[in-house]
Amino acid sequence: MVVKRSKAILAAILIAVSILLIVWKPTVLIYGLQAAALYAAIAIPMGLVLGIVHIVNLAHGEFMMLAAYTAYNACKAFGIDPLLAIVPTAVVTAIFGWVIFQLTIRRALKAPELNQLILTFGLAIAFTQTINLIFTSQTYKIPLDYVSASMTIGDLTFGIWSFVFVPVAIIFAYGLQYFLTKTITGKAALAVGQNPRGAAIVGIDVYRTYGLVFAIATALVGAMGALFLTKSAIFPIVGSPFTMKSFCLIAMAGIGNIPGILGASVLLGVAENFLRAFRGTRDWAEIVFFVLIIIVILGRSLKGRKS
Amino acid sequence: MKRNMSKLFSLIFGILAVALPFFAGDYPLQVGRNIMMYMALAITWDMLLRSGQVSFGIAGLFGLGAYASILGVIHGGMPSWVSIVFAAIFAGLVAFIIGFLILRLRAMYFSIVTLALGEIFRIIVQNLHEFTGGPEGIVMQGVIFGGNANRLYWLTLAGLGIALGGSYWFENSKVHFALTAIRNNEISAQSSGVNIFRWLLLAFVVTSAIQGLLGGIFVQSYGFATPDTVFTTDFMLLPIAMALLGGIYSTTGPIFGALLLGIVSEWLKLKIPYGHLVVYGIMIIIVILFMPRGLRQLLRQGLKTTNGRSA
Repeated sequence: MVVKRSKAILAAILIAVSILLIVWKPTVLIYGLQAAALYAAIAIPMGLVLGIVHIVNLAHGEFMMLAAYTAYNACKAFGIDPLLAIVPTAVVTAIFGWVIFQLTIRRALKAPELNQLILTFGLAIAFTQTINLIFTSQTYKIPLDYVSASMTIGDLTFGIWSFVFVPVAIIFAYGLQYFLTKTITGKAALAVGQNPRGAAIVGIDVYRTYGLVFAIATALVGAMGALFLTKSAIFPIVGSPFTMKSFCLIAMAGIGNIPGILGASVLLGVAENFLRAFRGTRDWAEIVFFVLIIIVILGRSLKGRKS
Repeated sequence: MKRNMSKLFSLIFGILAVALPFFAGDYPLQVGRNIMMYMALAITWDMLLRSGQVSFGIAGLFGLGAYASILGVIHGGMPSWVSIVFAAIFAGLVAFIIGFLILRLRAMYFSIVTLALGEIFRIIVQNLHEFTGGPEGIVMQGVIFGGNANRLYWLTLAGLGIALGGSYWFENSKVHFALTAIRNNEISAQSSGVNIFRWLLLAFVVTSAIQGLLGGIFVQSYGFATPDTVFTTDFMLLPIAMALLGGIYSTTGPIFGALLLGIVSEWLKLKIPYGHLVVYGIMIIIVILFMPRGLRQLLRQGLKTTNGRSA
């Protein structure tokens, strides 16, 4: 009963806030949603890995960065559009992710959690610095016409290309949900995530499942890398902020709750863009999510103590 | 016998370190200062690690100390060396306050929160334009000791000495037993009467204060601070890699790790200007996968097999 009531109040507040924003600062909502979709689409694969393999992959954003560089070079070499590079990039990064998993993470699965954390941290450094070594810290960008498409409603003009991330995030979230609950492989993966020993006893190959899940996650983040390239310039540390943001969103949604990431990212995206909308607070927008992550983690730890 | 040998070694090392300015040129002194700075940070990181807590906030506290020191000189009119002490106290105080909140967290939650706190410090410093100089940073008039290379070297060495002293204290007192008990099993530690929170707070405050002190020394020896130079991830990444390589849960491990990685990376920096840090990433991966206790353990095992008696 209490839970229901608090949820209803929360929903009412959310609706009130969004109406207020539409009237007062519509750009906050528009750019907030676009940013939210981008965050969510990148966070969802990490949520999958965290929920099933139980690894905090601190190299998550770096996988996206590698994918973006792969896509960039493919586009330059064959003269194709980044959108056409999405599928090949996803395949390449999936294979790469699987190999990395087998070579490194798999060996640390039985080690203490902190070793895994430091290991993926090491992977992140190795990835960014290898790219730094090959391509230097110069930025690369592919100029595209359709990216600057914009729309005008009344006296309000805004870019619409970034809305492409909205369907992508939704497809990722519900596609994975479908995969995990409706297909046999997905159900097996879910079982492994809930109880690896139990899953092994009933005959599921745990390590194969881990490898598969990791490959799926890197495939999705690889696809995002190619898509990200359409919108943004790339440089070696372009992916790093997304690792932390993704973790923050997953912690907010609760580990294992993939569709919840969508809601959490809307909150983060809108809050960030709200601060960006004012001259005085623009530079503080970056701090929002660091504060949010601390509040979320502290709040969860307090809640856990009570129950 | 073995004890005496290691004492002799540390004495020789100590004398060499103190006397380096008398026979080395400016460049080796500069390299030595860098290595000592990272070594001291590696030791403080390891000191907290002995309780089982992985902090990713070293750079944050280092940067906080650096800014406390330079702002103490510019806005507070402190003499340089007072500002260094002030940096240590300030960082320790901040750690004391946030410690109450975050030391209840464990494992990855603690690590991520320390990382986030470091970023928050950076963003705050970057945005208080009038007070801290904003993203362009802040410059002070004149460097401590008038920039005398030998004295700057000894100043950094003193910072390292304090870190070593702290680590020695942690290793050879009740603190050692408390932290090890917490690391091994919190529940059994608690039921044996170890006040977990208080010991963690002690370790966190002491290591943070030393990190702040090092930040103060750093900024006083260069005379300027920008958010990008003092909050750089290098101050987190390099010490962690050094401690891991040398061997964690000890004082000697980070020392060896820092000497080895410091010299190698200095050499690589000359060879490859971009991306020489890749070595650190690969080193971390290899150490975690193949020798989680670092070179120190390997060395010990090597000694054991060649010399059966020394077990």
